[in-house]
Amino acid sequence: MKASTEKRLFPYLLILPTIIVMVTVVAYPLVYNFVLSFKNMSMYHYYDAKFVGFRHYASIFTERDLYWVFGKTLIWTVANLFFHVVLGVGIAMVLNGRIIGSGAFRSLLILPWAVPQYICALTWRGMFNYEYGAVNLILKNVLHLAPIPWFSDATWAFVAPIITNVWLGFPFMMIVALGGLQSIPRELYEAAELDGAGVFGKFKNVTLPLLKPILAPAVVLGTVWTFNNMNVIWLVTGGGLPADKTHILVTYIYKAAFTYYRYSYAAAFSVIVFFLLLGFTFAFMRYFKITEAVFE
Amino acid sequence: MSGRTTRILAHVFLIIVTLATIYPIVQIVGISLRPADRLYSTSLRIIPEDATGRAYHAVVFEKDFLLWLRNSTIVSAIVTLVGLALAATAGYVFSRFRFVARRFGLYSLLIAQMFPATMLLLPLYVLMKGLHLLDSIAGLAVAYVATALPFCVWTMKGYYDTIPKELEEAALIDGASYWRAFRTVVLPLAAPALAITGIFSFMSAWSEFMVARVIISTRTLYTLPLGLESLSSTFQTEWANYAAGSVLVSLPVVLLFVFLNRYFVSGLTLGGVKQ
Amino acid sequence: MTTTLKCCVFSLLALLFLCAGLSGCSRKQDNSIAIWEQMDPEEQKLLDARLAAFQASHPGVTVTRLHFETELLRTQFQTAALAGGGPCLVFGPSDQIGPMSTMKLIQPLNQLLGAEFLSSFMAGSLDTLNGQVYAVPDQVGNHLALVYNKKYVKEAPANTDELIAIARKNTVDENGDGVADRYGLVFNTVEPFWLAPFLGGFGGWIMDSQFQPTLDSPAMVKALAFVRDLRLKYAVMPKECDYQQAETLFKEGKAAMIINGPWSWGGYIGAGIDIGVVPIPRVSETGLWPSPMVSSKGYSVNVHCPKEKMPVVKELLDFLTSTENQLESARKLKMLPARKAAADAIESVGDPFLEGSLAQLRLGRRMPVVPEMRAIWDSMRPAFQNVLNGETSPEAAATQMQKAAVESIAKMKE
Repeated sequence: MKASTEKRLFPYLLILPTIIVMVTVVAYPLVYNFVLSFKNMSMYHYYDAKFVGFRHYASIFTERDLYWVFGKTLIWTVANLFFHVVLGVGIAMVLNGRIIGSGAFRSLLILPWAVPQYICALTWRGMFNYEYGAVNLILKNVLHLAPIPWFSDATWAFVAPIITNVWLGFPFMMIVALGGLQSIPRELYEAAELDGAGVFGKFKNVTLPLLKPILAPAVVLGTVWTFNNMNVIWLVTGGGLPADKTHILVTYIYKAAFTYYRYSYAAAFSVIVFFLLLGFTFAFMRYFKITEAVFE
Repeated sequence: MSGRTTRILAHVFLIIVTLATIYPIVQIVGISLRPADRLYSTSLRIIPEDATGRAYHAVVFEKDFLLWLRNSTIVSAIVTLVGLALAATAGYVFSRFRFVARRFGLYSLLIAQMFPATMLLLPLYVLMKGLHLLDSIAGLAVAYVATALPFCVWTMKGYYDTIPKELEEAALIDGASYWRAFRTVVLPLAAPALAITGIFSFMSAWSEFMVARVIISTRTLYTLPLGLESLSSTFQTEWANYAAGSVLVSLPVVLLFVFLNRYFVSGLTLGGVKQ
Repeated sequence: MTTTLKCCVFSLLALLFLCAGLSGCSRKQDNSIAIWEQMDPEEQKLLDARLAAFQASHPGVTVTRLHFETELLRTQFQTAALAGGGPCLVFGPSDQIGPMSTMKLIQPLNQLLGAEFLSSFMAGSLDTLNGQVYAVPDQVGNHLALVYNKKYVKEAPANTDELIAIARKNTVDENGDGVADRYGLVFNTVEPFWLAPFLGGFGGWIMDSQFQPTLDSPAMVKALAFVRDLRLKYAVMPKECDYQQAETLFKEGKAAMIINGPWSWGGYIGAGIDIGVVPIPRVSETGLWPSPMVSSKGYSVNVHCPKEKMPVVKELLDFLTSTENQLESARKLKMLPARKAAADAIESVGDPFLEGSLAQLRLGRRMPVVPEMRAIWDSMRPAFQNVLNGETSPEAAATQMQKAAVESIAKMKE
């Protein structure tokens, strides 16, 4: 076969298996939900759901609590991602230096990711217990501060899962950052030093741009995953404590579907979340020019 | 600030962060050692007074832990290998070639991740039923690969983007085929990204619960997360066993990471390219 | 080029073969009956033994069971049944009957099982919807009772005034560090299920005979105030007391009394606590007994279960809920039976826990199985928690609950 034909076919062949897998597994569930959102499937119309058009979408946008829950979801996502990235990249940079026992540190620091999330979340819930939890005991006995009523107060009850999720999520960012840091040749740092750059200068001009291509997918996907993360909030607050005040969009959807059996309503809600996140991804990628290579 | 002080500070920082990080894990170990299935405790003691290793014994020998371990290992190994193969190649294509649907392809990889997972489970079940992949290792593997691929492809592509094209071009000029150039020049340099992809694919399969719950209804095919969940009931969970199981489940992940640690080393130096 | 092409084709083929081969490895047998359950560990052991006995006496029949946590059981069963699959039998609490029968996931059983079979069960143990029975019960219970630690409580309280007095006496701070080392009375203050008995004790109830919620009542206000006072005024329980917290305290001997159901008593005995079980004492103000909710747990049949399997399914149901098996469960697990014959024989077992349990059962009220229950629980929960935090007054909370319940029920019917 001629070299030019090989050149044309090579990329498509290489991508083909990936495309097959993704289309097979992903297309059907997505289309199913889109269609479902226009019907009226619920407990009373399980098998005989009919098309009802945009009814659910209308009722969602006029839902009293929607904007409040959306706002909380944004706070949840931004707070988590901020600490994930800062901690992850920060620790990775320290680890990347000349550290004794860096292997041991790294192995211990991925434990939050390695241990099953369910029991981690429940253990943290226990640690936030007002009387007996480790957090309050340390606050009281070691730092001599007042104990915090974590689950009786709506604000603190929101902070608790954020702390838990930051703990759960930073190892992932740390690993990605560690890998990304390996793509930066040491000569670039030396060259920057010769040009008179200090610590921040090196970080801004060498580290950050070269870390971007590898960190960006993790940040985008991390945002999407955090936005849609139901388990941690649900487990740490024991299902929305106190009094359903710690809901984010996705826990709301879950309740609609599985507590109230309003499947079509939940599907419509999910479609809205989907477009929200799609829009964010688009904007983020465009702004930071993620799809282009570094050396171009 | 002298280099020495910086180094000492760095170590101190790491020690503090590590201690804070592993404290909850140590609590979980404590739960696994407590008799009578007490999830919480009123004392701060890590090792309870009446500690017993019974739970570990019970989980491994009285429950089907070894069976779950076998199933999880098989699925995770398949997913890791397939994930690496597909991501390493697809990522390369997205990085190096410009073709018609390139941007669209990249974005569409991310689409499935944006949809709240809870609503995807029912159609996933219907789909798997139609493909006769229910209750099978293959079905799980396919679903997990699809979950892991978006991040893996993007990460590989991102890393490839930082490897100068000049390196393969040199090999191509010397007469190597595209595949050869990819395999011998680029791939070794992408080792850190491969390590990330490997461990991420592994984790997508090893610790995943919801999809496994939907696809598997046969006890002989239970993976570790399903097995652990079978220890829990609404009010009377076997907490000690559950905690012991969780501790055991995380060990292979740590081992894998220790093994992969050596790849988190830079392979790229500017000296290889004539500027 | 050929090398590349070969490589790709080979890998794709290998993948396909792998898939086909592995999926072949696990074909389900078609002559088996699957049961999905949410039983506690001890119950599961008994079930395994019974299934083994059944299979021994019925060669050629395979019965398998799969365990799920209650909520997961519901969602999984719904998913599978909607897609035309799922197990033949699903075991769970009676409140799953309402939604599942409305969604036509489980079959009505009157015709399948026959009137004679059904009449061998206590009338109170069979839940019917629109005249049809949807589950065969193997136990009656799930009712909350007062459990006390004999080390601290010598005589059970006769009414709520005594209950509060004993609780206060037992809330002590021995080492003066500001945190009580022992609490008088603990229970799960997160779930409104624990509020229900007191609602009955003050003369109210969740819904009326038309299944409409009746949450906005003076009885509700008093019940809310009662529980709130336990926490905030008398401080006989910790500030945040959920299920796990209450369990831990009682199991560690740091609580004198706990309100919990029969599924938990074995665990306390196992933790070495010398317990006594009595009905929750009369409400001093009204003289009424608190009425915890009573429900059955039983087996329902999937609509997709093939007709050919029905005769075996019927035999299996009869066996699993037989008088002997129910008496065994009573002896070993303190579960109250649903069959008339077994209930009559209970006195012969001579177990003080069973007697205490039975006494409480008689004072309980049946939990409604209509689908609206979920909406009602969900509406009660936030308001209940708000009252306990001191954020809302009982009067406002009762109104909130009623409003939320009515709204949710309307939305469900959309």
